Amino acid sequence: MFSLNNQLELRKIAISSLITCIYLPSIVTVISYKGLLYSLGNGSTFYVLLLIYIAELLKSFYLNSNVVSKKIKSKMQARDVINSGIFLLGVTFCFFVGMILFGAPMLDSHEETLMISALLTLLTVFPLVAHAGVESAMQLLFGVKHFSRDTIIEMLVNNALLTVCGAWLGAVVIPLDWNTPWQKWPIPCYLGAIGGHLFSNVLTILKISLMSAAEKNPVLNFVVSVLNKFNLSK
Amino acid sequence: MLSWLQHRWTGLWLLMLALGALTLFLYGFFPLKYHSGKFAHMDDLPNFIDGIGIDGQEVYNAGEHSVVLMVIDGLRYDFATEEYMPFLGELLKNKSACIYVSVAEPPTVTMPRIKSPERKKEKAQWRRTINFWRDIFASAMMTGSISTFADVALNFGAPAVRGDSVLRVAASRGRHSVMYGDDTWLRLFPGLWAEHDGTTSFYVTDYTEVDYNVTRHLDRILSPDEDLKPIFDFLVLHYLGLDHIGHLEGARSPKIKPKLIEMDEVVKKLYTAMRQWSRTGVLIVCGDHGMRDAGGHGGASPAEVLVPMVVIKTDDGFRCPHPNGPGPTVGQVDIAPTVAWLLRAPPPGDSAGRVLPALMPADVRQHLYLLHVLASHNAKQGLPTDTEFFKQFQRAEKQFAQYLATGQQSAAKIAKEFYDESLDAMSKYLTETTAEFDLFAINFATVLLYILAAAASCATLYSLQTEIRKPSITHHQPSKVSLLLAFAIMFIIFSIILVISCFITETKSSFCSFGPLWSIAFFAAALVLTIAYFVIKTGVEKVKDMTALKELNAIDYLLIYGTLFHSWSFFGTSFIEEEHMTWYFYWNTLMFFVLIRTVVVIVTYLSKRWSGATETQEKPELEERMSSVGVSILPQWVLLIALHRYLRTMNQTGDRWLFLPDTADWLNAPENSFYLQAHLLIGTLATLGICLWNVRHMNNYMYIHSILTILATICILSYRIASESLETPFSDIKSWDTITIVNLFWAILIIQALYEIIIYAGIFKSCGCDPGTKKFGYSKPKVKSEDYYYEPAEEPWNVDSVKLNLVRSLSHIMLNDLMLIVILLMRPHNVIMVPSVFVTSVMISKCLDHKLLDGRAGKGKEVADLIGQSLVHVWIGMVFFFYQGNSNSLASVDLGSGYVGLREYSPWRVALRMGLHAYAGPALAGAALFCRLALVSDTWQRYIQSVWRVCNIYALHRIYAVAVYCVVAVTFRHHLFVWSVFSPKLLYDFVATVFTVQALATIAQIVLLTNLTRWVASLRF
Ligand SMILES: [Zn+2]
Ligand SMILES: [Zn+2]
Repeated sequence: MFSLNNQLELRKIAISSLITCIYLPSIVTVISYKGLLYSLGNGSTFYVLLLIYIAELLKSFYLNSNVVSKKIKSKMQARDVINSGIFLLGVTFCFFVGMILFGAPMLDSHEETLMISALLTLLTVFPLVAHAGVESAMQLLFGVKHFSRDTIIEMLVNNALLTVCGAWLGAVVIPLDWNTPWQKWPIPCYLGAIGGHLFSNVLTILKISLMSAAEKNPVLNFVVSVLNKFNLSK
Repeated sequence: MLSWLQHRWTGLWLLMLALGALTLFLYGFFPLKYHSGKFAHMDDLPNFIDGIGIDGQEVYNAGEHSVVLMVIDGLRYDFATEEYMPFLGELLKNKSACIYVSVAEPPTVTMPRIKSPERKKEKAQWRRTINFWRDIFASAMMTGSISTFADVALNFGAPAVRGDSVLRVAASRGRHSVMYGDDTWLRLFPGLWAEHDGTTSFYVTDYTEVDYNVTRHLDRILSPDEDLKPIFDFLVLHYLGLDHIGHLEGARSPKIKPKLIEMDEVVKKLYTAMRQWSRTGVLIVCGDHGMRDAGGHGGASPAEVLVPMVVIKTDDGFRCPHPNGPGPTVGQVDIAPTVAWLLRAPPPGDSAGRVLPALMPADVRQHLYLLHVLASHNAKQGLPTDTEFFKQFQRAEKQFAQYLATGQQSAAKIAKEFYDESLDAMSKYLTETTAEFDLFAINFATVLLYILAAAASCATLYSLQTEIRKPSITHHQPSKVSLLLAFAIMFIIFSIILVISCFITETKSSFCSFGPLWSIAFFAAALVLTIAYFVIKTGVEKVKDMTALKELNAIDYLLIYGTLFHSWSFFGTSFIEEEHMTWYFYWNTLMFFVLIRTVVVIVTYLSKRWSGATETQEKPELEERMSSVGVSILPQWVLLIALHRYLRTMNQTGDRWLFLPDTADWLNAPENSFYLQAHLLIGTLATLGICLWNVRHMNNYMYIHSILTILATICILSYRIASESLETPFSDIKSWDTITIVNLFWAILIIQALYEIIIYAGIFKSCGCDPGTKKFGYSKPKVKSEDYYYEPAEEPWNVDSVKLNLVRSLSHIMLNDLMLIVILLMRPHNVIMVPSVFVTSVMISKCLDHKLLDGRAGKGKEVADLIGQSLVHVWIGMVFFFYQGNSNSLASVDLGSGYVGLREYSPWRVALRMGLHAYAGPALAGAALFCRLALVSDTWQRYIQSVWRVCNIYALHRIYAVAVYCVVAVTFRHHLFVWSVFSPKLLYDFVATVFTVQALATIAQIVLLTNLTRWVASLRF
């Protein structure tokens, strides 16, 4: 559970999660409405990734608006941007190679694999890099440095983990004999990643709502205490 | 009975009992056809009808006929209409032909519609379709009896139909049979064709050439000789194009209609040619099964099961006796007695059908005699005599006798009706008893399997305790008499419960028939229940310490829950057909987890090492562990993931993507023979390297083991050259006999094992040639007086350490021999699987080490390590089982592996080799695990305890998987896919259980052999 001492951070996290819960389903709904769901893997749906990039960038600006001082803002120079771009490209390449190693088609569908690699990078690593910088993101990725009660980073890491889990579990539906068009690679993993990301954000909103309501309700307060005891908030 | 739980082979005994229970389940689930083994002769024709004499040879005479059987594969019932086949429809309209509805008897396998992408369709080949499922249809038509699923499965390696057939009886009467079409007929009935031209059903995309190969023979074969008589008596034409179109594009394809018009043209050609003959011709046009609208066949829907059977006779006086429209229902088994009658041959020995009504003779006496022949023939096939249809047959016989004596037409009419009724009922009874489930046996076996799974759970949990408290002397132990009394009482109680349940359910099961043999099975089942009850009771009482399970980490939980939920996934048919996807997903998840954990551990270690010495002092054990394993573990793991990714492309398997091209197809193409041979050489030489690496654990006196291993590999390479899988400049090797090479190979392996045991027994020492090795040298330890108190049976020599050395050596000999044998049996492109199994086992054993991942040590860690290692090796075996191209379909069984190095068909040897080839992955993984157990144990007691725990885990896993799957099979026994999806998986599970019993028995044999050799050696000292 998040600590209650920082109401400002909690409100930012709540609004950020709400924005995610609004724009991602909107994108998916528009895609489904337009009948583009089955071409999500193609390069023609690159604008979807662009929309997600812009949304995540705006969210990052919002999350950093009051907390970050002017000094850190001036540090966001071109050199840092180039380093972030290189690092994100490297992460995309790692996702690409990892997906091929774990079962994606090897000789063809490279465009589709690249699309989902880019999506996973945008949903998992890009918010961390945009929020905390390249060095901190690398340290967080490898578990060297624990996020010491930084609720925003905790939320971003949870989002990343559940996004990867969603993409991983999306692969479960590929071998089933439903014969639906959206069982083609990489659409189930693409939607699974988006679903995992949404799920994480919904969990965040639920946790914050529960904590807010627990202050007024003794029964919910007891539930929150029990959850804290069992360490389920982690 | 605590001693049963403490016994180290309890898991093996429970697994054997589970195998017995599974056999009972299979008996109930798969009924076997009654085989009389009787070959029919004309002397078998009855000459007396209820005491009245009749000349059977003279009456049983249909005249001279030539029969043409035209089988159009996949001909659905609605295809035989005027819309699709106009000529046939015209014949039916003016009653020159009769049409019947024939019911294709299940089981017919699912041959699914090909779902590959459009651009890959032309490249797709039906590589694995041996299509032995046409065996069921062809043998039903020729023998007149329905083959069950078990009959086909048990006849797997045997090429030919063993029972009597129309072709055999016709050949014995001097008739000429000719076949053009699917080569299934040549395999099933070898040597019975005067002339043949079989086409392989290899390419499903070929639906024109495969039929042209049949039609091009027609002009020649149909032209008569100078007397206007055809040159054959029986002609079989099997057209496959329609079936192939159905598989490719479905029944609604635009190619269906031209194909049916093409078939109609063939019927017209046949009819026109037959009208020129001086002899009467009979043409039977039928399908073997129908076709779904989506394409394919294999279920029990009417579109797949109902097929037309059109009978055309060129006799001018022939008129179809039935009204227009759909004719009566007949069986495919009715073709055999019909053709036998037309060819003046007796009905085949196991025939259960009847002559088609349109082809029955007009003469009343002949008609009744033919009915009597068929009815009495069916009655001899073990029918119960207290049934209504048998009494009807006896009444019909009396009426027939009265007609023969008096000539009354009314008696003839009555006899005909009675014969018809009894024949229908007899056929129905014979086919139903062939395809009936024994529900009591099935349900009881399932309950038994669950009880045995509970007993195995108790035994396993007991063995996983870290501190097994020895019974103190003050504790009261029940006497042996009271234990035997309790056992006897429970045995009697369970027997009474079983007897009561038999009478309550009023089952007709043979299990409750209390015959001499079944009583043994009955009381054996009660005994099994009693044993399991006592194991469960003792286990519940004695299992207390479960601290070991607290040491499990996330990867262990992934392994445990993955294994548990995998069994329950079989409630979906997709997860049976695509079981490999489940395993690939689990394996990828495991590799992903291990990759993340390894990355985290290495990065932590490197960062602490670079940041400063103060932080490295926080975790000194971490540096120690990392130095033992090395930072190189990470690139090695990534390379292993890449290797598995490549192996996954080697063979496409399952159901949906089976027809896509894979690496094996690419390698087996003629232009890529260089790469195929490179694969073969790399796999074989890598295995040789691994075997030579394993030789250091053996007693390599004078490098005998190295030499023998190299010689065995040379034999394998020579066999590959002689069987033309490998090209070489030494052309004289190609002429060598493959049987001799394989026999030499077996001799080398046997010599290797015997040599090791002889060394250990000390033969060389007594002869004076001291090996001079430290591995098997006996020496007297220092005597400690305080040891005598609680070790009364202490050995005078360091026998335990020598036994451990021998066990290590024998385990590695077993692994080496197994790898070499599997290399010999494998297809050339699959040879690289064998070194890959070993490499995967070694790597994952390193990475799953709890000390590396968690840093703490203890006895609980050891137990958790064993659980993880055992389960991960089960996973490795299953993953490689599917990498090899196996699936849960019988079509993926490689029949060629059974005949490596064999001249003639020997059922047990062929079955053993096919099984070993199919289960090479699990066998190699299990052998690698037991070698690792022998390596990491530093004392004999620890080795025995590790083997005890691992055997229990393996047995529990196998019994659990089988028990859950039996529930699945029972739940879906009336499902559409029961014979095409659920039943093959049951057979695979049975074979897997047999192989697990074999594997654990092999380990038990190694331990027994070690103790036996120790006893022999002790006689010398
Ligand atoms: Zn067929
Ligand atoms: Zn077919």
